[in-house]
This record gives sequence, C-alpha cells and structure tokens, in this order.
Amino acid sequence: MQALHIPATKETPEVRLDPVNMSFHLSGESYPENAMAFYAPVRASLQSFLESPALGSGGSGVQAHFNLRYFNSASTKLIRALVGMLQQKAAEGIRIVAHWYHDPDDDMMAEFGADLKDEFDAIEFNLVASETA
Amino acid sequence: MNLSNFNEFCNRAASQGVLFYYTGEFSSNVIGTLSDTVRERLEALGTPNKHGRKVFSTFMEMAQNILHYADDSATAGRRIGALAVGHEDGKFYVLCGNPVRIDHVERLRAKLEPLRSMTLDEIKAAYREQLRNEAHAEDTLSKGAGLGFLTMAREASEPIDYQIIHHAGDSAYAEFYLRAVI
Repeated sequence: MQALHIPATKETPEVRLDPVNMSFHLSGESYPENAMAFYAPVRASLQSFLESPALGSGGSGVQAHFNLRYFNSASTKLIRALVGMLQQKAAEGIRIVAHWYHDPDDDMMAEFGADLKDEFDAIEFNLVASETA
Repeated sequence: MNLSNFNEFCNRAASQGVLFYYTGEFSSNVIGTLSDTVRERLEALGTPNKHGRKVFSTFMEMAQNILHYADDSATAGRRIGALAVGHEDGKFYVLCGNPVRIDHVERLRAKLEPLRSMTLDEIKAAYREQLRNEAHAEDTLSKGAGLGFLTMAREASEPIDYQIIHHAGDSAYAEFYLRAVI
C-alpha cells in the first residue's frame, strides 16, 4: 500500500494517508468549485488503504484526524462519506479512532462533529476543541 | 458616471456600511480573489472568529451559487452576478443577485420559502436530513449537496430574504436576489 500526500491548496485540504502509522489526515479548508472531482480520488485511496491486509483484526487499527477550519456545503456530504467508510470498517471489527478538531468558537464545526459521532457509533470518536483547528 | 455621481455612489455605500461590493463575471479566479478581500476586510475590522467564519461561509455559498447557477444564456456562457458584504446596526449582511431562468424560479421559491418560517432547530433538523439524503443525486439541477440554502439559513441570525424581479415582456429570465443577516 502506498502513502498518499496531497498538499493543501487555498481551497482544498491537505490529505495524508500513512501506511506506517496507519493514519489518515484531512486538514485545512475545503471549498473547491468542483468538490466531487477533489474527493473522488481521496475516496478511492482511502478505500484501498482500508482494504490493506495489514489492517486485520489484532492490529492497532486506524487513527483518523479531521482538522478542518472551513468547508463549503458541496464538501459536506463528501466529508461525511469518508467518515462513513471508516464506520463500515469499524463495524467489521477493526479499531477506528477518529479525532474531529474544531475551533472552540465554531459551533457549526462542533455540531457537525457531534452529529457524525452520534451517527457513526462504531468509531471511537473524539471531539477536540482546539485553538489551532 | 460623472464624478459627482460617483461621489454619491460612494457616500451611499458608506452610509449603508458596505465593506465590499463586486459586480461582474464570477469565475474560480475571481472568487479566490474576492475571498481574500472579504477575509482581509473582516480581519481589519477586528471581527471575532465566530462571526467572521459565518460571514465568510455565507459569502462563499452565494459566490459559488452565482458561479454554478447564474443564467448565462444572454451572456455567452459568462456567469454574471453581484455580491456585497456589509456591516450595519451591529450585524453583518451578505447580499447577492444574479439572473435565473424563468423556469427555475418556482424551484427556488419552493426551496427558500419554507426556510423563512423555520426555527433554528427546524433548520438544523432539515440540514441533517438533507445531509443523509442519498436521493439528492436525482436532482439533476443541483451541482452540490443540496445544502447551500440550508447552510446560509443556519449561519444567519434572521430569516433569509429573497426577491425575484421579473422583466417586462416575456423575458426568459428574472433577477434573483438573496440576503442573509449574520
């Protein structure tokens, strides 16, 4: 399995998939004009990452970090879908820990994370109020 | 416009608290530049993060709506619109306007009118429902998640306001205006 690193741009977040630490990072801002075009390959890479044999039960699982400062409405369903993919794996018995960072003043981002935590309950979901989010 | 008219235009904008106004073509590059400007203006005013983020989010939804939905049949494929951000009576406002096809007007009304009488809790519930609505892909006119107006309504502190102005005669398009107060 290959590592993936997509650097952040002004309107798209940084994406990192690290097969050594089994971690996934999505951080920055997400408001591309065509959100689908950006997220389709991210989705494909995350899928093959989650299908890695190294992820058999007994491993330490996956750590997923969502550190988003802002995303537009077109990005919302696509970000939720990534969490949905993690949920599916967690439901199969793989340990998935998600960290959802948000600015303490950003109620929208906090509520979005809280909703994901409620909905995708097979994931160990941590909501982290962080000044640096 | 002569200079005294321009002076009047500037004074009118200042008295209404306009921080930023743009009219013309919307493209990715234009939106990128406008977004920097909006953030700089908000920062220069010392706007708290919480409000600045809501204003920026509303601005971005409106700008991308113009880019995706402004009717371009009379302008050779160019998406033309207007957008303003201002600060008045302790609140921010974001306004936009663009041409829309007549046959899309009822669809806009049907999306916007119910939002005007919903409480914040009802708006949040509708947002959650739409977020999980997988059937939205069947709405072939939508280029996003169907969450744009709901996002604006969530960020706003008052019901979002809209206006549709029809041209005289049998024009194929109308002017669509939208206002959110944060």
